Amino acid sequence: MIEFSGVNKWFGSLHVLRDISLTVARGEVVVVCGPSGSGKSTLIRCINGLEPFQSGRLLVDGTDLADRKALLRLRTEVGFVFQSFNLYPHKTALENVTLAPIHVRRLSRAQAEERGRALLEKVGLADKMDSYPHQLSGGQQQRVAIARSLCMQPKIMLFDEPTSALDPEMINEVLDVMVGLAREGMTMMVVTHEMGFARKVADRVIFMDRGAIVETAPPETFFTAPAHARTRDFLSKILHQ
Amino acid sequence: MLGGLNTRVMLEYLPEIWQGFLATLFLSAASFVGAMVLGVLACALAIQPLRWLRAPAVVYVDAIRATPLLAQLYFLYFGLPRLGVVLPEMLIGIIALSLNSGAYMAEIIRSGILSIPRGQVEAGMSTGLSYLQRMRLIVLPQALRVTVSPLIGQAIVLIKDSSLLSLISVVELTRAGQRIAIDRFMPVEGLVATALGYLVLYYVLKSAAGAWQARNSLPGRG
Repeated sequence: MIEFSGVNKWFGSLHVLRDISLTVARGEVVVVCGPSGSGKSTLIRCINGLEPFQSGRLLVDGTDLADRKALLRLRTEVGFVFQSFNLYPHKTALENVTLAPIHVRRLSRAQAEERGRALLEKVGLADKMDSYPHQLSGGQQQRVAIARSLCMQPKIMLFDEPTSALDPEMINEVLDVMVGLAREGMTMMVVTHEMGFARKVADRVIFMDRGAIVETAPPETFFTAPAHARTRDFLSKILHQ
Repeated sequence: MLGGLNTRVMLEYLPEIWQGFLATLFLSAASFVGAMVLGVLACALAIQPLRWLRAPAVVYVDAIRATPLLAQLYFLYFGLPRLGVVLPEMLIGIIALSLNSGAYMAEIIRSGILSIPRGQVEAGMSTGLSYLQRMRLIVLPQALRVTVSPLIGQAIVLIKDSSLLSLISVVELTRAGQRIAIDRFMPVEGLVATALGYLVLYYVLKSAAGAWQARNSLPGRG
C-alpha cells in the first residue's frame, strides 16, 4: 500500500530523510516515534505529497509520487490529520466535513451531509454539527478533523502528532476514535508518542533518529526488548514521564 | 479665522460645489472599480509560481509605489497625446487613479492572502482540492475578511487623491472650491466648502467599514 525505496530528502544542506525503505501493507497500523527533528513528520508528509523529496521512489496505492499529475487524485485516497487540526474557521463542523466531498467527489449537498452527519456522530459530535471551530475544544476540533478526512472515504489515514496540541484530559477522546478506526481495518501511519496507543493497536512501531529508521519491531518486542541503544535511551526518556 | 466665514457666498456657490461633489463621487467610484480589477489581477500574478508572470506585477507595483501620483498623472496627461492617444481629461484622471490605487490594493490583497496560515492550504491539499478550489473556498473567503478594512482605507485615500485631478482641469470638488477663491477672492470659504464635501464622503465610508466589521468579523477572531 505504501512503499518507500531509498528515499532521501534535504532541506538545504540538512539531510532530513536518509535512505528510507519501508513497506506498509493494506490494513496495517504503523506507529512512528522518535525525538523531535528526527524526520518522522516529514516522512508521513511525503506520502501525500505535502513534502517533495529529492531521490528514491515512493509508491502509494500503486501511484508513483514522482508523478505530480496523479497527486491530486492520490490525495483523495489518503487522509491526513494535522497536529494543529487546521479546521476551516469560517465553516461549521459539518461544512468542514462536507467541503471536499462536495467539490472533489462531486457528491450532492444532501449526500455529502448525510455522510458527514454519520461521521460526526461516529466521532461523538452529533450535537456539534453547526458549531464553528472556535466554539469547540481542542479534542472536539481534532475529532472534526478526523471526520473531515474520513468523509473522503480514504484508503489510508496519516496522523501527524494528532494529540500533541491537546490538553491531557482530551487526548483519550481522540485516541479512542483512532483505535476504533484501526480495529475497523484502516491502513494507518501515526506519528505519536502515545505509547499506550502503540501497544494497543500498532502492528509495528518504527523508531526514527536523525532522518533514518533505526529500528522496526512489533510493539511487544519494541517496548520490552529494543535492539538499539538509541531506542532504549529514547524509550527510557518518554516512558518515565 | 473661521469666525468671519462668509456663508452667504458659500451658499451662493452651492450648485457648483454640489456638481463638484458629484464629479468627485463618480470619478472616485469609477477609479475604485478600476483599481480593484487591477489590484486583483496584479495580486493574482504576484502570488502564482511562474517567475516570468510574476515579473510584470512586481514592476507595476514598484513603479507606482516609487513615484508620486502627481508625476504619474502628468506623465499620462502629457505622454498619451505624444503616442497619438487623445482622451478626455476625466478619463485620463480615472486611468491614473486606477493605476495608482491598483498597485496599493494589490499589496493589500496579497498581504491578506499571505496572512492565512499555511495549515489551511495544506488541509485543502490533503483532501484533494485543486489550487483554484483552495483559493476560492478556503483562502479568499478568509483573506477578504481581513482586507475589507484596509481596502476601505485605500478608498478614502483615493477620494482625497482625486483632488489632484483639478490640476489637469477636471472639474471636481477641489476645482469647484477654487472657483469661490478665484471669482470672489475668498480662498478660505472655498477650502471650507471643499473640505466639508470630503468630510461627508469620509464619514460615509468610515461608517460602512464599521458596519461591515461588526457583521462579518471572523467568528472567534474579534
